[in-house]
Amino acid sequence: MSNRMSAELAEHSDTSPTDQEVATRKASSIELHSLHKRFGADAVALDGVDLSIHAGEFFTLLGPSGCGKTTLLRILAGLEAPDQGTLMVGDKELTEVPPHRRSVNTVFQSYALFPHLSVRDNLAFGLKMRGLPAAERDARVDEIAAFIKLGDLVERRVDQLSGGQRQRIALARALVCEPDVLLLDEPLSALDAGLRSQLQVELQRLQKRLGMTFVFVTHDQDEAMVMSDRIAVLDSGNIQQVGAPSEVYERPANAFVARFMGHDNLFPILARDGLRVQSDLGWLELHKHAGQGDAGDCLLVRPETLEIGDVVPEGYNRLAGVVQERLYRGSRIEYVLEVNGQSLMVVASNLGQQVHQAGDAVTISVCPEDLVTVAA
Amino acid sequence: MNKRLWRRGLSAFWWLTLFFLYLPLAVVVLFSFNSANSSASLAGFSLRWYQRLLGNEQILSAFANSMVLAVVSSLVALGIGCLIGYGMYRHRHRKLGWLIVLIYLPIVLPDIVFGISEMAFFVQIHEATGWLRPGLGTMIIAHVTFQIPFVALIVYSRFVGLDPTLFEAAKDLYATPFKRVQHFMLPTIKPALISAFFLSFTLSIDDFVISFFTAGPESATLPIYIWGAIKKGVSPEINAIASLMIGAVALAALLSLIFNRRRPA
Amino acid sequence: MPRISQHVMRRRAVVAETRHLLFSVGPGVIWIILFLVLPSAYLMGVAFMTNGPYGLPQMPLTLEAFERLAGFGFLGWSPGNIYTLLRSLWQTLLSTTLVVMVAYPIAYYITTCRERWRPIMLLAVVVPSWTNQVIRTFGWMNLLAPGTPLSELAEGLGLIAPNMGLYPSNFAVTLGLVYNFLPFMVLPLYAAFEKLDHAQVEAAQDLYASPLGAFRHAVFPQTLPGLLAGIVLVAIPAFGMYVIPELLGGGKGMMLGNLVATQFSGGSNWPLGAAGAILMLIATFFGLFAMRRIGKRLGGGEEVVI
Repeated sequence: MSNRMSAELAEHSDTSPTDQEVATRKASSIELHSLHKRFGADAVALDGVDLSIHAGEFFTLLGPSGCGKTTLLRILAGLEAPDQGTLMVGDKELTEVPPHRRSVNTVFQSYALFPHLSVRDNLAFGLKMRGLPAAERDARVDEIAAFIKLGDLVERRVDQLSGGQRQRIALARALVCEPDVLLLDEPLSALDAGLRSQLQVELQRLQKRLGMTFVFVTHDQDEAMVMSDRIAVLDSGNIQQVGAPSEVYERPANAFVARFMGHDNLFPILARDGLRVQSDLGWLELHKHAGQGDAGDCLLVRPETLEIGDVVPEGYNRLAGVVQERLYRGSRIEYVLEVNGQSLMVVASNLGQQVHQAGDAVTISVCPEDLVTVAA
Repeated sequence: MNKRLWRRGLSAFWWLTLFFLYLPLAVVVLFSFNSANSSASLAGFSLRWYQRLLGNEQILSAFANSMVLAVVSSLVALGIGCLIGYGMYRHRHRKLGWLIVLIYLPIVLPDIVFGISEMAFFVQIHEATGWLRPGLGTMIIAHVTFQIPFVALIVYSRFVGLDPTLFEAAKDLYATPFKRVQHFMLPTIKPALISAFFLSFTLSIDDFVISFFTAGPESATLPIYIWGAIKKGVSPEINAIASLMIGAVALAALLSLIFNRRRPA
Repeated sequence: MPRISQHVMRRRAVVAETRHLLFSVGPGVIWIILFLVLPSAYLMGVAFMTNGPYGLPQMPLTLEAFERLAGFGFLGWSPGNIYTLLRSLWQTLLSTTLVVMVAYPIAYYITTCRERWRPIMLLAVVVPSWTNQVIRTFGWMNLLAPGTPLSELAEGLGLIAPNMGLYPSNFAVTLGLVYNFLPFMVLPLYAAFEKLDHAQVEAAQDLYASPLGAFRHAVFPQTLPGLLAGIVLVAIPAFGMYVIPELLGGGKGMMLGNLVATQFSGGSNWPLGAAGAILMLIATFFGLFAMRRIGKRLGGGEEVVI
């Protein structure tokens, strides 16, 4: 560990060979097999979860509250025991190993900094519990403090820290233990928007530099997309989809995932004829990779792929609509259109083109390659 | 207009009440320096009642008994009560109504019922088995019994005030169950333990009725000695020993004020 | 790999939790049962036993002690015990009322003062109660004895007979009770007042116009939980008070606590004393129960914490 940190300090480039080498040695993969967990008689938190998390990836568990993501994280940490199923980290089975014997550390949502200890003692807590001598503890705390650029925070009292500072201390406290896996339970949710997006970037960079396996829990799909290598979307104790952010966003596995990723333009498919589908928008031409969705499934039309303008390119679908509402958002303009009695959202980049007013009749072009069918 | 008059009235009432609260104590202290053997008229300043105290073996042994009783019972109650407080916190989601009733029992039971039932019980046990001879031992048992609930409630409320994830953080950071107690729980509840000890100590020193009924012939505490002296006919010596006890309370009040001042909120 | 069944794992967890509960709560529970529940149960048993030659209880079981408590003795019925009981009730009622009347404005006044003064003011109210009960009562004996300025003032006003002094008397007992319990009422009332939002009082004054209306509709209901808690803290121990009537009351100021204690300290009649203790317990639990009910009914959701 010390080597890795020193190397980091000396060489901040992502491609440092030392980093690569240490990263592959250190990071662990995670295998979850058929995890079940229920609370009480009928509250099912996890309903048979199978999941593989690769070594050294930034993996996000995404879902609404009550979907089981926090339970899953707590099972990884050992704070909750699964009713059934197994958990492997690297080549070790951890299902029944208590938390204090797992090389897994957590950054808690409330940060959980010990109020009776100074920041330095908080940082050294895990090392002390592992029985490291005081001199070595100090050295490693100084190292991590330099690494995360904590500066003089180390010598402060916990109650003198701001929210953002607490978050960094909690992160440092977990990292200084060099866990095989770092778990993060909505660590940014208590911070204000500006600080939050800054820390999102920092956290993601940090993970890349360390090459450590991060498992991140959030209910915020933007946060998940910005930071993650892969995302697992959960709902009612089941994994709905696992994939890279672009996959989950552009090709959601089902209507739940689509809605959760923020898609509004979802229309039930009424009928299908080869590469043509009928919905309330009318008949539309699909590309052959659009998916096999048939009647009963949904058609996803991403608002940013639609274009308003009288010229419809060759091969594009043409829709006619009336502007209902216009929301000016600076970098982009959002229109709510009425097409065949349905609301259709269109997002246009603000490039100085003509701005339409409510009541304007407009023509919309839809590229077949941008349409996707989604299981209901 | 009206409002100012109202506030003035309130303020006057406040000072009057304070006067009422401190008057009897002030009188005791005043007469302890009285050179005459009277509780009605002051003759002159004298320390002779204090000098007499030092030569009074009964008072010295009563003082020692009071101290041993207060310290030993508080320590025992601290241990037992601390465990209950933690147990109540850890299992707070269970149905523990019976436990709450049991813990409140020593608090709500009238002193006199508390005292005589223990006395009657101890006497019977002693006659049957020879154990529990009335004395410091039985007094300590009785005091621990009424101190436990206060310790338990103080410790419990300290735990409830903590972020519950702290317990998980300690586990997560490799603390074994034993180390969690040593490095996390005990240090975090230390302020609660200190105040629980002082409260127990105060309760013990302040108690008369329960001590009176569970005491043996050689285990009189200061309040019991004073009680006996009052019953036999008031002697100014009592003013002196009572004044010393008032002084100790005043000192404790001062300390608590300074202690609370230094810690913000 | 071996997979432990759901059932076994859950049972193991339940066993571990239960063992934890027993180890943490167990010692205290055993202590309280052994040294309080059993003695109380024994005392209740004593009440139904026969009075032996040295005042100690004997078989057979009988209701004699309760008959004695109600005043029936060898010489026919005498009202002494009933008077004692009524006096206890009256003294409790009177002193609790007086304590409320003093504590209410005091608690309110403290909350209107500057924040940094409040803890000191509360401390000032509480400190006298840290001294021993016997000493505090002794202080009043000094103040109220015949020949003291207070007694002579009362004599001069014709309130008491010459050379009688203000103590021993029922008046002295009431005074002693009020003095003793005042802090117990101020603290919960202060807590209730402190929670009160003063903007609400102003809004109420705005809406109800009259200060009395504002008090009745906005202030009083919100301090009710504190008031009820205070009443529990004052009335229950006052009813069972032993020291104050013993020292300040004399023969005619006796309360139930003295009646009970005499039967044990004088060794005269344990069963009678035990019967008196049962009466006291019934009154205590009835009082607690009544206060809880009233608190639930009127307290508007906020439960009275005893």
